[in-house]
Parts: sequence; structure tokens; C-alpha cells
Amino acid sequence: MRKVSSGTKTADTVFHVATGIAASSPVVLLLAIAAVVVVQSIPSIRLMGWHFITGIEWNVGDTYGALMHKNGVTAAAGASFGALPFIVGTLASSVIALLIAIPVALFTALILAYRLRGWVQWILSILVELLAGIPSVVIGLWGMVVLAPFVAHGLGPALTHVGVVIPYLRGPVGTGMGLLTSGIVLAVMVVPIITATTRDLLQQVPVLYREGGIGLGMTTWEVVRYIAVPYIREGFIGAVALGWGRAMGETMAVLMVSGNAINFLPHNLYSPISSMAAVIASQLDSAMSDGSGMAVHALSELALVLLVLTLFTNLLARLLVSRVHHRRRGVRA
Amino acid sequence: MSQPISVQNLRAWYGNQLTLKGIDMELPASQVTAIIGPSGCGKSTFIRCLNRMHETVPGARVEGDVHLGTEDLYKGDPVDVRRMIGMVFQKPNPFPTLSIFDNIALGLRLGGMRNRGQLREAVERSLQMAALWGEVKDRLSEPATSLSGGQQQRLCIARAIAVQPEVLLMDEPASALDPVSTLRVEELVEQLKDTYTIVIVTHNMQQAARVADETAFFLNGELVEFADTTTIFTNPGDKRTEDYITGRFG
Ligand SMILES: Nc1ncnc2c1ncn2[C@@H]1O[C@H](COP(=O)(O)OP(=O)(O)O)[C@@H](O)[C@H]1O
Ligand SMILES: [Mg+2]
Repeated sequence: MRKVSSGTKTADTVFHVATGIAASSPVVLLLAIAAVVVVQSIPSIRLMGWHFITGIEWNVGDTYGALMHKNGVTAAAGASFGALPFIVGTLASSVIALLIAIPVALFTALILAYRLRGWVQWILSILVELLAGIPSVVIGLWGMVVLAPFVAHGLGPALTHVGVVIPYLRGPVGTGMGLLTSGIVLAVMVVPIITATTRDLLQQVPVLYREGGIGLGMTTWEVVRYIAVPYIREGFIGAVALGWGRAMGETMAVLMVSGNAINFLPHNLYSPISSMAAVIASQLDSAMSDGSGMAVHALSELALVLLVLTLFTNLLARLLVSRVHHRRRGVRA
Repeated sequence: MSQPISVQNLRAWYGNQLTLKGIDMELPASQVTAIIGPSGCGKSTFIRCLNRMHETVPGARVEGDVHLGTEDLYKGDPVDVRRMIGMVFQKPNPFPTLSIFDNIALGLRLGGMRNRGQLREAVERSLQMAALWGEVKDRLSEPATSLSGGQQQRLCIARAIAVQPEVLLMDEPASALDPVSTLRVEELVEQLKDTYTIVIVTHNMQQAARVADETAFFLNGELVEFADTTTIFTNPGDKRTEDYITGRFG
């Protein structure tokens, strides 16, 4: 029998410790971030209570004047932090992004996975990956310079005609900076993420199953519709959740095209909005000058809400996925 | 009424590799024709040319003529060809996300059958023919994948015959099955041959001897010998056939 040298034993111990640290780091990081955000939010939670998520007035108050004491905490006089417009802005813009992105991504992925071959497929696949890597400021810039004018003068006026039947599509269209433009910009960022994942999933559908449909005389579309897409459904839901999280957390691009609405809710599809992420980024600087510190606490609470929402969508997606799994238990590929 | 298949100078490629080197063959109607031969000789490729599955493989190509009765199968839409010529694969491949019932009903629905009662009847009839009805009639809404391998394969047979094709192609349909399931599939072939022209690939010579009326021996992409099964197994005309069936190679 070979003798184990003490050097090997030490290496083994180091390996065990290292893997232990590596394995626990996601949990530790998540807890650490959550802890900071929660602790920082507490004063704001005490000040505003539920009004934080139901109120629409966001006002740091008179930061050079007297301090106000309320609910056991101190804030600048006249301060009020109602985040509903930002919550609605984040949800509405990201949902619009998904409504656009899901069909586009699914269709593109189908073409990439099943229709194209050889170098055409290769080039288009690379393009999708490249699109995913474009910095969000660049997409934001495109949104300001190209997309916003197009929404203001082309797409918006066209959609207002449909507005006769769907009230939210009614004008005025405004400057083009707003909800619809934010949604489209987010869609541009989310499409490559969903497309790349979905393409990989589709390529993993066993040929044997697709041939079962082809051999039965199904058309290409029918094979996709009845065999491939149901087969990847779980993974697809996961990909959409990933994209949704990305869209809700996106900061810069939305900041650039949202129109920076404060203190009102979006009233139609073209209305200026603000998202939680964008507000945190744009307000933090001035919040620092609030001597009571309350403005920073309020932004922390905004971060907390954002964190909870993204975690929630991720969990919801997992839950859906596991329910589908459950229904299909016993599937042996 | 089922029809014969006539194959003329059929050649098939994967990329640049010529895999079928000019096959001429007349497969009689309402009979079982077995294709035998060593692994890699082109049996699967051959029957996949009969329902135009071969061309769905990236880079694959076919030349030559295949007629079903008087109809040229390589003119027109391959989807129509595959509706006329059903296929059962080597590994059972029921639609994994669908129930037992829907596995069979899907093809019928896509073919235009909407009436629920009609669908139920057709599903039951196909399952009866595939000798599976008794085992699944109380669990039609369960996933097809909850069935055993042998049951899944019979479900695939039911799925193929539900749409009433004229020909049934079977590519080693029992090779992944246990002996009992294999026997059931063979019995099934026996019963179905009155209604369908059946082409069955097998590398099991006893199976060919048991189920087939005619047998074709393939070697290296060529048809070496094609005759009635008894002749092939008792009095082959070609030395290579004799070597193969006496187990000298393959
Ligand atoms: N998808 C494919 N791509 C490339 N070559 C293939 C493919 N399928 C089969 N071949 C080749 O074609 C030849 C015949 O294969 P096949 O028809 O499957 O033989 P059999 O069914 O008689 O075992 C073999 O040499 C095999 O390697
Ligand atoms: Mg084969």
C-alpha cells in the first residue's frame, strides 16, 4: 500500500477549505448585501411605513433647514418618500420589454437552432453574443438619439390610432422619452440574453423526438410548436426570468431615455417614467447632502424593494419550473 | 388497398460519403419485407430514403427514384410522403411532453380530425391494433413516458398507424426491448401486414425468418440479394449472403 505523504494531506485540507469557502461565498455575499440594505432602510421604513410603496410624492425636504422628528426618527423638514411611481416605472417598462422580447427571442432562437446551417448560423450566433455584450450606455445613447425621435414622430402617432380602442395607447406622445422607449431599449438588452439561452436549449432537444414528429408528417413549424417548445419550456421560463431580472435592474439606459418622471404615475404608454434603479443612481449624489441621512436611507429602501422584486421573480420562475417538472415526473429522455 | 414500393438506382450520401450505391428493389404490397445486413451497411439509410427522412440530416443527399404505386415520392412535398409512409424508430420516441392519448391524437388533430368522439374512437382503435389498449385504457391522460420501453414502442406503432398510412417502416423496432416485448411487436407485425406494406430493418436473423415474407441482404451500401425469406435462409444464391446468415461475419 502506498503511503500518503503529509504534503498530500495538507494539500487535501487546503482543497477542502478552499472548496468550502467557494461553495458558501454566494450565500455569504447575498446575506451580506441583504443585511446592509435592510439595516440602511430601517429609518426610512419607520418614517414612511406602507406609504413608501403607496405614496407618489418623493421629496427630500429642506435639507438646509430645520429637522423634523417623526415616528422616532429624524429627517429634513417636509421630507416625504413615496416610491410608487418608481416601482410602477420599473415593473411597467420591464414588462413591456418582455412582451417585445419573448416573441422576438423565441423566433430568432428557432431560426438559429433549426433553420440556419454552417457559416451563416455561426455569424448570426456571434452577432447575438456581441449584442449581449454592448455596454448599456451605448444602447441608451442609441435610445436617445434614434429611438426617442422615432417614437415621438413615427411609432407613437401610429399607435395613437389604435388608441381609439385601447386607452393606454392614446396620446399625447410627448418627447419620445418615456415608458415605451424605455421598454424598447430594455427589450434590445434582454433579447440577446433570452435568445442565446433558448437557442442552446433548442439544440439540446433530442433529434429522436423531433424525428418522431417529422416521421409522422409534421411540418417544421408543427414540430417546433408541439415537440421542441414544450420540451424546453422549463428552461425557457428560466431564461425569461433571467431577462426580467436584468430588465428591472438596468440603470443607465433607462436613466437616459425614461424622461425622469418624479411625483406622478405614468398615465399612458408614452408618459415619462423613472425606474427604481435609475432613481438610486441619479439621486444618490444629492441625497448625500441630506444632513439627517434620511434621503440615503430612503434610497436604500428603494434598493431593498428592487432586491425583493428581483428575488421574487426568480423564485416565481423556479416555482413554475418545478411545477412543470412535477407534472412531467417520470419523463425519461 | 396498400401498394408496392419500387426503388430505382437509389443513391444516398452523407456529405461526400456515398452510403447507398445504387439500389434497385421492388417491395411487394401487403407483405413484410425484412432488410438484414451487418451494422453500418446502410439499412437505416435505405428505409429513411423511402419516407424522405434522409434529407432532413444536415449535409445528406439522395438521387434516384422511389415510387409508391404510380406516385413519384421525390416529386412534391416530403410532408405528404411522410403522412403516407409511417415510421417506427429504433428507440421508442413518444412525444415526451404529451399524454398517452395526445401522443396518438396529435397526428389526427393535425390531419384535421376535430370531433372529440371521433378522436376517442380512432385513438382506441389504434391502441387496440397495437395491442396496447388493455394496458393503458385507464391511464390515457398519464404522460407517455410513464410507460415501459416495450409499451412506449407499441404506443409509437399506434401513433404511426392512427393516421392510416399505406406503408409502415420499422427500423429495428425491437432492438431496445426485452424478449417479451419483442415477441409482442413481432406478433403485431404479423397482424398488421394485411393492412400495410411493411418494411422492417433487423439485425436479428431469427426475427427476419419469423416475420418476413421477403428478405433483402445489404452489404456495404449495396443490395446483395433479395428473395423470399425461405430462399434467403435455406438456399441463398450469393456466397456473401451465405457467409452472413451462417454467422461467418457481421
Ligand atoms: N447522420 C450521419 N452522418 C454521417 N454518416 C452517417 C450518418 N448516419 C449513418 N452514417 C453512416 O452511413 C453508413 C450507414 O449507416 P446506417 O444506414 O445507419 O447503417 P445500418 O442501419 O445498416 O447500421 C455508416 O457508415 C454510418 O457511419
Ligand atoms: Mg441502423
